[in-house]
Amino acid sequence: MRSVIRLIWFDLKHELKPPVWITLQWFTFTIQLFIYGALISQLVTATEIGNYQQFYAVGFLVMMTFDIGSHAGRDFVEDAHEGRLPYLLSLPISRSKLFLATALKGGFELALMLTVPFAITLSLIGNLTVVSVAAAVATLFCLGFGIAGLMLGLSFIAFKSSDLYAAITTGLSAIIIRFSTVLYPLASLARASPGYASVARFSPLTYGADLVRLFLGFDPSILLNPVYAVAVLTALAVSTLGLSMFLLQRLVEGVKSG
Amino acid sequence: MTELSSILQLTRNDFSYFFRTKWLMAILLSLHLSDMLVVALVYGKLMSFNYFQFFVPAIIVMGLFVAALDTGRRIWLAIREGVIQYYLSLPISIYGIVAAYLLAGGLAAVVYSTSLLLVALVVLPAQAVWNTLILLPFLFVLAMGLAGIAASLAAFASTHGEYYFAYQQIVQTILLVFSTVYYPIAVISNYFPPFLTNIVSANPLSLAAEAMRQYTFAGNSVQPLFLINILLASLPFAIIGATAYLIALHTIQVKGKL
Repeated sequence: MRSVIRLIWFDLKHELKPPVWITLQWFTFTIQLFIYGALISQLVTATEIGNYQQFYAVGFLVMMTFDIGSHAGRDFVEDAHEGRLPYLLSLPISRSKLFLATALKGGFELALMLTVPFAITLSLIGNLTVVSVAAAVATLFCLGFGIAGLMLGLSFIAFKSSDLYAAITTGLSAIIIRFSTVLYPLASLARASPGYASVARFSPLTYGADLVRLFLGFDPSILLNPVYAVAVLTALAVSTLGLSMFLLQRLVEGVKSG
Repeated sequence: MTELSSILQLTRNDFSYFFRTKWLMAILLSLHLSDMLVVALVYGKLMSFNYFQFFVPAIIVMGLFVAALDTGRRIWLAIREGVIQYYLSLPISIYGIVAAYLLAGGLAAVVYSTSLLLVALVVLPAQAVWNTLILLPFLFVLAMGLAGIAASLAAFASTHGEYYFAYQQIVQTILLVFSTVYYPIAVISNYFPPFLTNIVSANPLSLAAEAMRQYTFAGNSVQPLFLINILLASLPFAIIGATAYLIALHTIQVKGKL
């Protein structure tokens, strides 16, 4: 376990000394919530949402989770291209431990970057219980691990073509966020176009955002069935992380990336 | 070879580099087209006014802005990877290099935003498309000004590794959020104190978005004073950016590094 902790700290210390990226995430969240969110909420007149600023705050947390989770894949590709991955694979450490270190590092990053935004969101919404807050945190972590697993799985495309990988993941990211309930409820997507709502049902962010909102006390009538949400998020996290672990086991030392 | 032809060759080289970066094209197109065809449409269903009509012209300006900002990334890469040393060895003055980068940045941004305009014209009827031709030179100067902001960021961040992207995100967030790209000035004046509302009104992105809404899509006659305002708001950024980049190039020329 010491080797896993050492690997995690080796990567994390670059982000903590100085914590530029973490502070930047907090800054972006604060500006987006108190300027963009506040001003847009003055324009939103749909009564079913209630306070749009609160709705947006949860949506932005989910977007941040997605962004941080997807970094895991990008880091993996960079490691491969910069020669760090072959070095890591040659270390006297098992593949499963290497995978555990990558996953835990992602978890720590997520915790660090979400602490302040999550606290601000909770204070904005107010009137919460310990159980509901814990359930919301668990949902965000489950979503984060699922997205990280998905991106790690996709990162194996990068061994064929890094350009193709970057184009697929970045294009996919924008579409996954827009076609989801991160920024608006499913009913609004359906009113804009029934096709949009159908696509949104395939986005993991839809289930993550709606489940977090349910735990934080939003009106359940505008949210998806939580049973489906729990099932989808669990299946996503388990399957993508399992797939990534399988692929890492098969990766041979000295692999060349294109 | 004359200085002018060298500038034009370098401009062409940098201009084509922007469009050859596949992952960047994937990011920009997926972001702006999904903003136009999904976000604007769905937000419109949540509001009591025609947000689609309001936001689509602004997305063209967002495209112009983001494409112009990419000039900074290219300058930053050129400094970091030593390409700038090669440029300095060419028979072209440092003034020529600066001019080429700003021209390429402005041109790439205008071409990219024109592609968004063509899509916008399909989804939103424009009352006076020909007014866009009058706007184009002013949008080009604006794009050069925005490229100037990016150039000064790149010159400033070139000694701080990856921090360039942090600076870029801060500037991008602030300039977009404190503008009328996302919300009308009436909403902003209800929320901000008068001095901040004035700053938002003078933001070149607000001016360009308003020009696009009023002159291209609403079909109002073009007001020369408004166009002069765009010039006055953009030129300082272009001059500051050009000076910062010029100083950086001069330092590299004299000391060999920044």
